[in-house]
Amino acid sequence: MHPKGPRPVKYRQLSHTADLGLRIRGATPEELLENAGAALTAVLTDRRRLRRQKVEEIEVEAPDLEALLVAWLNRLLYLYDVDAFLGREFQILELNPQSLKARATGETYDPERHLAGTAVKAATYHHLEVKNRNGRWEATVILDL
Amino acid sequence: MVSGQWSVKYQDILTPDPWPLPPDLNMADKVKLRQLDDYRWEITREGKMRTRGLVFASRKMIPKIQEDQSLQQVANVATLPGIEGPSMAMPDIHWGYGFPIGGVAAFNLEEGVVSPGGVGYDINCGVRLLRTHLARREVDGRIEELVNTLFKNIPSGLGSRRKDLKLTIPTLHEVMRYGAGWAVKNGYGHKGDLEHIEANGQIPGADPELVSDFAMDRGKDQLGTLGSGNHFVEVGYVLEVFDEKLAGALGLFKDQVTVIVHTGSRGLGHQVCDDYIKVMLKAAAKYGIELPDRQLCCAPLSSTEGKRYLAAMASAANFAFANRQMITHWVRESFEQVLQMGPKDLGLELIYDVAHNIAKIEEHLVNGKKKKLCVHRKGATRAFPPGHPETPAAYQKTGQPVLIPGDMGRYSFVLVGTEQALTETFGSTCHGAGREMSRHAALKMARGRSIVQELKAKGIIVRGAGRATIDEEISEAYKDVEAVVEVAHGAGISKKVAKLKPLGVIKG
Repeated sequence: MHPKGPRPVKYRQLSHTADLGLRIRGATPEELLENAGAALTAVLTDRRRLRRQKVEEIEVEAPDLEALLVAWLNRLLYLYDVDAFLGREFQILELNPQSLKARATGETYDPERHLAGTAVKAATYHHLEVKNRNGRWEATVILDL
Repeated sequence: MVSGQWSVKYQDILTPDPWPLPPDLNMADKVKLRQLDDYRWEITREGKMRTRGLVFASRKMIPKIQEDQSLQQVANVATLPGIEGPSMAMPDIHWGYGFPIGGVAAFNLEEGVVSPGGVGYDINCGVRLLRTHLARREVDGRIEELVNTLFKNIPSGLGSRRKDLKLTIPTLHEVMRYGAGWAVKNGYGHKGDLEHIEANGQIPGADPELVSDFAMDRGKDQLGTLGSGNHFVEVGYVLEVFDEKLAGALGLFKDQVTVIVHTGSRGLGHQVCDDYIKVMLKAAAKYGIELPDRQLCCAPLSSTEGKRYLAAMASAANFAFANRQMITHWVRESFEQVLQMGPKDLGLELIYDVAHNIAKIEEHLVNGKKKKLCVHRKGATRAFPPGHPETPAAYQKTGQPVLIPGDMGRYSFVLVGTEQALTETFGSTCHGAGREMSRHAALKMARGRSIVQELKAKGIIVRGAGRATIDEEISEAYKDVEAVVEVAHGAGISKKVAKLKPLGVIKG
């Protein structure tokens, strides 16, 4: 339990029959993107079992914040496909209107030790939304499974 | 040992209960539907729609379809420029992203568009069916061993990759150019296989130069892997023959052992789709195409962007054909190993291989005139009739075989294409069952049960890379594929040939 009461919810899955929706929250756009990374990992495996062994530096570009969110998640899926890398923690180092720099800390997926969760093909633009609601940031993104 | 194979504890799979969908996503469809006959429903042309919508479904299916936004998606597709005929949905219609799953839409080459969202991320995801000379009793008691051997020989599961087969870039280019032909040339299967694959296992016009390095990075050690999710290899048998003559012509008989392979273009295809959606978002703005949903982004077929996407898509599609061809080779090897039989006695021959996520340039009759169209099939199968030039030689008299996989606990269907499909749906039909339950709900339902044991009791041996995938894919999570097939058959857009029942399944 957080000293000041329950911690704010960082992300939650949305019920969707065929695919999977994610509702992500954060105090800032940076935190929103960091939490989005964690939300994606949580679909793929049990995030808490990942060790902090490997660091990946990531840079992506996209025309706006919504598209950046999708590009960021798809880059993480790329790293998973190519290097079996799964991030446990994410840090947005730099966020511009059309680009971001980030650091992901985690490890290589090992089927012996890690839970095989749900496979994700891609983050989509369908009903994609990022908005500021009463000073807090909230995003909706649908993953293609 | 099938149960207890997971060293990782399972209790953490179940994430907290999902939140309900936000109101803008949860609106019950307000799209107006008009029943035309027992199997057809029309979405009236309204607002920005350039054509009507046509949905194949039974009355019983409609309330479930109306629960989500799939009908709105059919209407959205109808707003795209250059659409010919209605915007259609097959009876396995469900909510996708952009285009609905089960969606079929054709566009003329002059004003029409091509949309990566109308194909999907898993470019040329598809199914192939193999027959054998074996009767069911000949594999009695051998299924577990067969399943274990298949599981060992075919890498599957989340992020599956081959450690033994890393492709160089020039080789990967060849794979994308020649598709299944590349695989056969390199010793995976034989020439005869190619005649039993849609487009002979090679979509023309592929240009691997238009596939990004990111996509090739993802594809280079994933060729010959099953992947995860709903992908599978299934050993089954012919439970029921509906049409003896057609079944005979396809080489099928009652109690015969069959094999189904279901997979696609893996990470390479996902990346091609993602790369070109970015291109199309810009292109749609550039060409002034108004989009009801960003995921519908597209470019004119006559534009550079449109042509480049088609060439990249063809490359990914060919990768998928090669993938299924290689897996077929390991299926054959696995049977030979376990049953100690030679290829001649096994008779593991390809009946057909069809794509169900693809856009293809085809010739169709529009208002009595032959016209080249770009037909998008997203979760829909081509179903060409007897006598069509693109129907393979072996099936000129029967019509092109159509393979409709169901869930792992029920059954799958073999159908053939019809003249009715060609005239009404640009030669298309359904592709599968479609989910009825979210994955979360399925996991919840499977909690405390051993799905593997339950299926074993029903005579089906299942082996998966992860327990989550098996639990998410429980029968109850899927619509009954039989209801879907009945509509396709009843409407005449394909014809039932046989029903197959699983004996052993490997899941990704």
